[in-house]
Amino acid sequence: MFKKKKHSTHEEHISLIKLFGQADSVTKTSYLIMGSANFANKQFLKGLVFLILEISWLAWLFTVGLKAYHNMFTLGTHAQGLVYDKSLGISILQAGDNSMLLLLWGMLSVIITVLFIWLYRINLQSARHIWELKQEGVKLPTLREDLASLLDEKMHITLMAVPMTGVLFFTILPLIYMIAIAFTSYDHNHLPPKNLFEWVGLTNFGNVISGQMAHTFFPVLAWTLIWAVAATVSSFFFGVILAMMINAKGIKGKKFFRTIFILTMAIPAFISLLIMNNMFADGGLVNTLLINSGLTKTNLPFFTNPLFAKFTIIIVNLWIGIPATMLVTTGILQNQSEDQIEAAQIDGANKFQIFKSITFPQIVFVMAPSLIQQFIGNVNNFNVIYLLTGGGPANSNYYGAGSTDLLITWLYNLTLNTADYNLASVIGILIFILSAVFSLIAYKKVSNSGMEV
Amino acid sequence: MQPVKLCAFLVTIDLLIKSEGWELTNISTPIIEFKNVGLSYGDDEVLKNIDLELEAGKFYTLLGPSGSGKTTILNLISGQLTVTHGDILFEGNIINDVPVEKRHMNTVFQDYGLFPNMTVFENVAFGPSIKGMSKKDIKTKVTEMLTLVKLNQYADREITELSGGQRQRVAIARALANDPEVLLLDEPLSALDYKLRKEMQYELREIQQRLGITFVFVTHDQEEALAMSDWIFVMNDGVIQQNGSPEDIYDEPINHFVADFIGESNILDGIMKTDYLVHFTGKDFENVDAGMRPNERVEIVLRPEDLDLTAIENGKLIVTIADQSFRGDYYEITAIDDDGNEWQVQATNKSKIDERVGLTFDPEDIHIMRFNESENDFDARLESYEGEEDAEK
Repeated sequence: MFKKKKHSTHEEHISLIKLFGQADSVTKTSYLIMGSANFANKQFLKGLVFLILEISWLAWLFTVGLKAYHNMFTLGTHAQGLVYDKSLGISILQAGDNSMLLLLWGMLSVIITVLFIWLYRINLQSARHIWELKQEGVKLPTLREDLASLLDEKMHITLMAVPMTGVLFFTILPLIYMIAIAFTSYDHNHLPPKNLFEWVGLTNFGNVISGQMAHTFFPVLAWTLIWAVAATVSSFFFGVILAMMINAKGIKGKKFFRTIFILTMAIPAFISLLIMNNMFADGGLVNTLLINSGLTKTNLPFFTNPLFAKFTIIIVNLWIGIPATMLVTTGILQNQSEDQIEAAQIDGANKFQIFKSITFPQIVFVMAPSLIQQFIGNVNNFNVIYLLTGGGPANSNYYGAGSTDLLITWLYNLTLNTADYNLASVIGILIFILSAVFSLIAYKKVSNSGMEV
Repeated sequence: MQPVKLCAFLVTIDLLIKSEGWELTNISTPIIEFKNVGLSYGDDEVLKNIDLELEAGKFYTLLGPSGSGKTTILNLISGQLTVTHGDILFEGNIINDVPVEKRHMNTVFQDYGLFPNMTVFENVAFGPSIKGMSKKDIKTKVTEMLTLVKLNQYADREITELSGGQRQRVAIARALANDPEVLLLDEPLSALDYKLRKEMQYELREIQQRLGITFVFVTHDQEEALAMSDWIFVMNDGVIQQNGSPEDIYDEPINHFVADFIGESNILDGIMKTDYLVHFTGKDFENVDAGMRPNERVEIVLRPEDLDLTAIENGKLIVTIADQSFRGDYYEITAIDDDGNEWQVQATNKSKIDERVGLTFDPEDIHIMRFNESENDFDARLESYEGEEDAEK
């Protein structure tokens, strides 16, 4: 019993490279023929599984795998085109290579090989395990015991197997595939299956950052950042003010006001946005009212003037943004200890000083993580732009984007309208880098401030 | 004495007072005075006609159970509540309507009331900076206050990095940084553990004596009150039950409530047969109280520590030991006499359960409480005994 316990805590294994030098011949054979150590020690089924896996991988490699790798590097050599058929005496359309599929199969092959390397390591670890047990003179676990352990101390492996496989094929594979596209010429001139596309290295990044696309990228990036800051700050600021007003002593019907404002959260944002889109349109409710009441003579260009449209978007966004902030702020205000306020009053602070020095910093502290999230959310706020202005008004200086398009809606246009998948992929990667860097810095700063409430 | 000489004498006294810098007003005018103060919420009378006077530079304690009105009095002094009737005076001036920040007072809260978004230094500097003090003066002031509460090493710490005891010290420093003439403390130690509480009791007392300002301390812990105060107000049901020095209140409780609330007590019904002779548990005992009506019904208080267990033949009463528990420096013994009365006794020696022993006490340990005696009558009666004692000497 004690020996077993000692073994189970035996965490420091000999490295697999050193093992090759020290181990017996059976263990060494496992480096070449998977499962041989298991066979030699009567773990036949386990050994068989390893062996079959090795044989299938080798079979796959020599029949399909190598070709897939080769195709991944070339991305196809035969374009679709007319080829003269001697027997028929005419040219017929011959299917060429489909770069997109070749890239996908290539990626899949990489994953299959990575999986195999992982299994190969497991095979070696199993061989090492057997060797170690034999060195210590402990009885080897039977297959039954091995299987039983999968429902006991190795339950995590059993539970994670299916989700991990799903993540691998449905998240990681598409992700690498998308990233890979950023380094190809997969755009509207190179659409498979008609045309081939090829690897172009960092050309697309160069194009976006300092090439033709820079004239669109930087203005859109600037507006994206302005929008994200303005939307986040304005929603936060007015949300806090609203919460303070509703929470103030002497305000009657607090519950009524809270409910009214929370109702706007109960309506799906896209419905609100579509209604707003109608209301502010050229012949819409707002303009009609303004003209009928004589306040303006013509339609106000809510969505047709670039600058006007930007303000409209930010203002309309308040409708959606304020209630959320108000709700959280109300919670913070109601939780703040009355003693703090009284202590500050006794020290002679007036209401503004109390708000500035005590209440507001605490609200900011609690809200900081959610503000970071809101900022990132606004950088990627597809709904508001797409549903409200659709990126418009059109801007002839931009490629594939309107005056109010954010990076994310531009990306949408690049994939669905202009079919520049490589550019879209570059934009996606840049958005990711932007969001990730900002979040990391911001969260780090927030957690460094050290205050817990 | 001739008129001229009298005049010269008075002038001399006057000169003496002026040259010594004595201020007659401080001697005669209390720093805080309540005149017939009451506070009601609708029909709910929280405070009933409170009269009290606080002298400058003393440590006062308002002691009472929850809901007795002690914190209400504190909030009236600080200005967070306003009176329903009566007047509150500060150095002789009515301050009923003076706002909190102009009252020359500051409060230490039970939950500290510290600002979690500021460091220790910033917390203490808050009041002075609001008052527009220069940065250099603020630094001097804060350093002085943090040294006073022994936290000068912690100036740059976040509030959340401090222990409960340290937070309470910061709260005290922050209140004192505003140079209050009266410091109000609302159960400041009740969140601390026993040992820390003892330590802070001692330190608070020390701080009060060093600064020489008036402290008004609210607590429900009678031990704390006895240990720290110059003067205690015992409160119950919105009424001051008794006020006096800790010794007075412990030795001479005015009524059942005070006797029961302060310390451990054996309280029995009895009859004052004549002066110096009291009857309870079916026997007559000599005592030292007088001035009551013959055969007046009274309550008898005997403190557990004044009782001794002895041999049966030496006992004034015979009791059976029912229970005992070890309390470190003594055994707390529950004994039952032949009338079925339960007696709490603090004994140094261990006893045997069910053993019959004698119970003895001295005549001066018997304290008599009359029913419905007002505080003034009670004081007068006590003074009359002292007069007699002086006469005997």
